[in-house]
Amino acid sequence: MIRFDNVTKLYARDTVALEQVNLEIEDGEFVFLVGASGSGKSTMVRLILKEIEPTAGAIYVKGTRLSSIPRRKIPRHRRNIGTVFQDFKLLPNKTAAENVAYAMEVTGQRRRAIRTKVPQILDLVGLSAKMDKYPDMLSGGEQQRVSIARAFVSQPPILVADEPTGNLDPNTSVGIMQLLHRINRIGTTVLVATHDKEMVDVMRKRVVALEEGRVVRDKVRGAYADEV
Amino acid sequence: MRFNFGFFLREAFKNIRLNLLMSITAITTTFICIVVLGVGLLASSHVEGVVGSVREDVSVEAYFPPDATDEEKDAITRDVEGWPEVASVNYVSEEEALASFKETFADRPELYENLDPGVLPASLQIQLEDPTDAEAVASRLEEEQGFSDENLSYPQQTIERLNSVTSAMIWGLYGATLLFLISSILLISNAIRLSIFARRKEIEVMKLVGASDSFVRTPFVFEGMVQGLIGAGLAGLTVIWLNFLFIDWARDALPFVPISGDAVNTILILLVLVIVGVAIGVIGSFLSVTRFLRKV
Repeated sequence: MIRFDNVTKLYARDTVALEQVNLEIEDGEFVFLVGASGSGKSTMVRLILKEIEPTAGAIYVKGTRLSSIPRRKIPRHRRNIGTVFQDFKLLPNKTAAENVAYAMEVTGQRRRAIRTKVPQILDLVGLSAKMDKYPDMLSGGEQQRVSIARAFVSQPPILVADEPTGNLDPNTSVGIMQLLHRINRIGTTVLVATHDKEMVDVMRKRVVALEEGRVVRDKVRGAYADEV
Repeated sequence: MRFNFGFFLREAFKNIRLNLLMSITAITTTFICIVVLGVGLLASSHVEGVVGSVREDVSVEAYFPPDATDEEKDAITRDVEGWPEVASVNYVSEEEALASFKETFADRPELYENLDPGVLPASLQIQLEDPTDAEAVASRLEEEQGFSDENLSYPQQTIERLNSVTSAMIWGLYGATLLFLISSILLISNAIRLSIFARRKEIEVMKLVGASDSFVRTPFVFEGMVQGLIGAGLAGLTVIWLNFLFIDWARDALPFVPISGDAVNTILILLVLVIVGVAIGVIGSFLSVTRFLRKV
């Protein structure tokens, strides 16, 4: 589903973000990408979204080499990938429901489809009571649920989350992780970049550890740190 | 992909409402620029109107010698009417000349009390197609019709001066209007750029969710269109109102200057101003968003 083939990314001339990373994520997998700040997690996420280009190597998503996608087809590529961010990235002028609906409007879906689908998905993330609230009226956890609903509403095959619990307290984080887990069980490939150690240890999923831009560990039912 | 007109229009109006201050800035800028442009157009229309009516007055007068017979006068009149430089010829008989003299000095009857009808000569009032032809027509009258120079009257110097002054004035006005137009485009696109910069985060999120460039851009372009329409519409109405005020004022203050409402085609000016305003709004927002999208 997602494949990194000897990928190197340099920022500026000599700042190494990623160095010869090889990684393959299968269809329907749940993968944690862990590592300290600056280890290259976000760079990998941005490469998958084709926000930036690798300095060397190739990245494949759903079998397509990203460097072969022309600029004007990037929107179509991004519609295959639901994204969740630490800072939620909601549109401040739109209600929860409108934020979710926007992701469907972008793909030109019918209003009738949007009207039935948006309440369903907000119900799924447990926010049906707050669908007409604006983001600044919602708590951090609620905003993150809206952003997950938005990421998932078009049922993309892949969901990528960059520090989804970074701004949330532990209890709220559990709820967010459970939500991501449920989405994965429906068949979505989920990639979560995080340094939330407890969460990773509890979930017991595949863990890929990055250190200074290199993959140092890749374990199928792993924990955040090496188990002694 | 389906083009959802209603969605984009709703988005545009919502954005105008939510970014009211920015919208008002853009509308006000458009308004001021279009008013200035409109006043420029008005001024040049009026100047052209005045120049046109002054030029229409320019005529060559040819006085017949007292011994000319009616047949001779008739033949000359018909002949001159056929000249290409001549727009119209009006024959004024001795009686008509006296009548108009009496009319002019109606309050001083002692001036014409003892005048014989034959004292004032019959004449031809020749209107020209183009005032620059006055000299040529005068010399044709001398050479072909036997008028002597003292029997011809044409305000040669006035005409020449009028021509050079008015053409300089009109070109100056056109130049000023063009400058205003350029500066208004710069001002308005700057206002739009500011409002887009204020919403750059929003645009980034839209792109992240998978919105195509045109999907992000269309509401902004609609917004620019609506703002241009409001600003230019109000400006157009203001300009027309100013025009009426000016004509009213000129009628009292400048009675000898032939300023008239006919010189200005109000509908055309309104249309031009609105079209320019909308075009600036649409082109300005299109270019500003496109430039921004390239960076995202």
